[in-house]
Amino acid sequence: MAAAAPVAPPARRAAAAPAPSWRRRVFGEHPSAWLFILPSTLLILGFNFLPMAWAFLLSLQRSDLVTPAEWIGLDNYRALLRDPTFGDAVQHTLVYTALFVPLSVIGGLAIALMLNRRIRFIGVYRTLVFVPFIMSAAAQGVLFSFILDPQYGLANAALDGVGIARQGFLQDPGQALYVLVGIGLWGGLGFCVIVFLAALQDIPRELLEAASIDGARRWATLRKIVLPSLRPVTIFLLVWQTFQALQLFDLVYATSRGGPLGATTVVVYYVYEQAFQFFHAGYGSAAAYVLALAIFALGGTQLAVRALRRRRAVA
Amino acid sequence: MRRLLIAVAATALLAFAGCGSSDDDGGSGADGGPVEVTFWHGQNDIMKDAYDTLVDEFNASHPDVKVDANSGGVLADEMLTKLTAGLAGGAYPDVAYVFGSDLANIARSDKVQDLTEAVRDPAWQWDDFFAGEREAATVEGRVRAVPALADNLGIIYDKRLFDAAGEPYPDADWTWDDFRATAKRLTDEDKGQFGFSWPGAGGEDTTWRLWPMLWQQGGEILSPDGRTVAFDSPEGVAALELVGEMATEDKSIFVDSDPNGERAIRLFQGGKLAMVEAGPWILPDVIDARVDYGTQRLPGFDGDHTTISGSDNWVLFDNGDERARAAQEFVQWLTARRQDLALVRALQTLPLRASTAASPQYRRLAAQIPGTDVFAAALDTARARPSLQVYPEISKNVGEAVVAVLLGRADAQEALEAAAQRSDALLAGAGAGG
Repeated sequence: MAAAAPVAPPARRAAAAPAPSWRRRVFGEHPSAWLFILPSTLLILGFNFLPMAWAFLLSLQRSDLVTPAEWIGLDNYRALLRDPTFGDAVQHTLVYTALFVPLSVIGGLAIALMLNRRIRFIGVYRTLVFVPFIMSAAAQGVLFSFILDPQYGLANAALDGVGIARQGFLQDPGQALYVLVGIGLWGGLGFCVIVFLAALQDIPRELLEAASIDGARRWATLRKIVLPSLRPVTIFLLVWQTFQALQLFDLVYATSRGGPLGATTVVVYYVYEQAFQFFHAGYGSAAAYVLALAIFALGGTQLAVRALRRRRAVA
Repeated sequence: MRRLLIAVAATALLAFAGCGSSDDDGGSGADGGPVEVTFWHGQNDIMKDAYDTLVDEFNASHPDVKVDANSGGVLADEMLTKLTAGLAGGAYPDVAYVFGSDLANIARSDKVQDLTEAVRDPAWQWDDFFAGEREAATVEGRVRAVPALADNLGIIYDKRLFDAAGEPYPDADWTWDDFRATAKRLTDEDKGQFGFSWPGAGGEDTTWRLWPMLWQQGGEILSPDGRTVAFDSPEGVAALELVGEMATEDKSIFVDSDPNGERAIRLFQGGKLAMVEAGPWILPDVIDARVDYGTQRLPGFDGDHTTISGSDNWVLFDNGDERARAAQEFVQWLTARRQDLALVRALQTLPLRASTAASPQYRRLAAQIPGTDVFAAALDTARARPSLQVYPEISKNVGEAVVAVLLGRADAQEALEAAAQRSDALLAGAGAGG
């Protein structure tokens, strides 16, 4: 079959020889494909790209969304540079990301390795690990507000029980951000675990068997076979969790509203406050775009690194 | 981030789609039909039923106007965002329920009717609304709204906890020093019981409770010319110091970091909190939990017991002359004495009008819910917060100062001075950006 393909019947070759019709040039070989992707394309254009473009225009204006806007060029971006509250928000976001991403990926891997074996009730354990992930951030917020209440919460009662001083948790400006990292991990680990588990089960059994026949111990198998096979998934998770961390909002909204004393004001919460509480929609959009650029840059860097590696591998 | 862009986006889409009411589906009085008025009350449950009943009555008695009542698709908390989206897209209702502290920002729009001339018409009986309500409906000297709901702050206490501690119930002449001592005596750390609570999330809920304490001593939020803030005066510092000492020295204040202040209400319902500062809106929950409660007006400084009015408003929009006039006709009817009384009866709220409050019917109603008399009596003297566009930002600055002091992180004087400095910059127009 494969060998026969290049030898096309002469008649058909003759028909294809003239320049393709304009229709084919515009719509390609399979015009009906466009029909299939049209609905989702329109939705993505309408709900993602149009608003993003509009938000960019907004970021160049002094606008409260209610009265006529005024074009002010890059003034909003310049004001952001001088705004100490925005600086704090960026710093809080970076601290959160720097803690959340490695902890969730390493923790997720560790738990996945533990759950990737045949033991009794394994399905139950796997479900339990995943359950927090499907809980809404609002519900998580309410749950942890109860547990971490400095006066009446379970956490302090437990600390009391083992003789450790009571903590302020979300009410202590020095702890609140780290407490949020903890809550974020509780809710976000399940996703890493599931992805790693799937990847672990994709590792060909022959590889592992061959390794064990060659006398590899568990540690060597993990280092030489398991971890290298997990590399693509790990990179995906690192990037994905970074995006999640940079976009943190709902947890902050549900628990601390950026407080106490601004200790948990992250960039997206700052944007929300400026745009929807203080009527600085233009300024808020500018802040949102700074974050968007950071995310694009991160994604771009990752793609570039991958392309470079591939080229080196080919060479 | 992307979620935020999407939120901004949704606003844009609402604008393009022109959902909600639009110009072409109503207001056709000229060709014979009634003028349609879209009315967003932002309420559910019993509040919604009460408004629906009144709207039906209005429609039956006013054949030339047809009011279409609905919540607006949101509850009152989210009304500001919804209206902002509507205004950005040119599709907005004729009448909407707007929180007192949001009015100045909605009134940026010239689509919000200016009622200054209209309310001079004796049919409105404008001066019959309590002064605090009128002040709250006025922005930069112009009347931009009509009072919709009256509220003010007083103290609600749990009689059982007072009895258990052998503490006499507070009398109307109590001072803030009495209050502090009472709160301290009613605090019992071992039982997890607090004398008082203060919202610690740093929003307007944290801030507005400080204003009566400032006013009672003769202090003001703004300087007389309105160009700078004045809350960092000795009066403001004294007020905040008192609250701070209660929280950090007496440990009699439960700092409620819940963004909605729900935890304090639950503690009060559960008999773990002796006193809360709240308005009559809390009474249904308290009665529901079978708390044997009493109410008293706010403690005073030097015999002054001024409280703060938290009144909300009906904002009227301009969808063409005909609909604008019809909206006025409807709101005038809705806030007239007879309907005012009907709402008080249905919702156990406070009367909007002095004449309602003085009527024998109202006195009979008030007698059925113990404690409302305290709030009704304060309607006369309650003051409104300033209607300023930058008020939400000033409120945030002050709220953070209060939280810092409550948590023992800052000294009252320094915290208020820092808040004042940032607020002065806002008033001078040197805010963050556009």
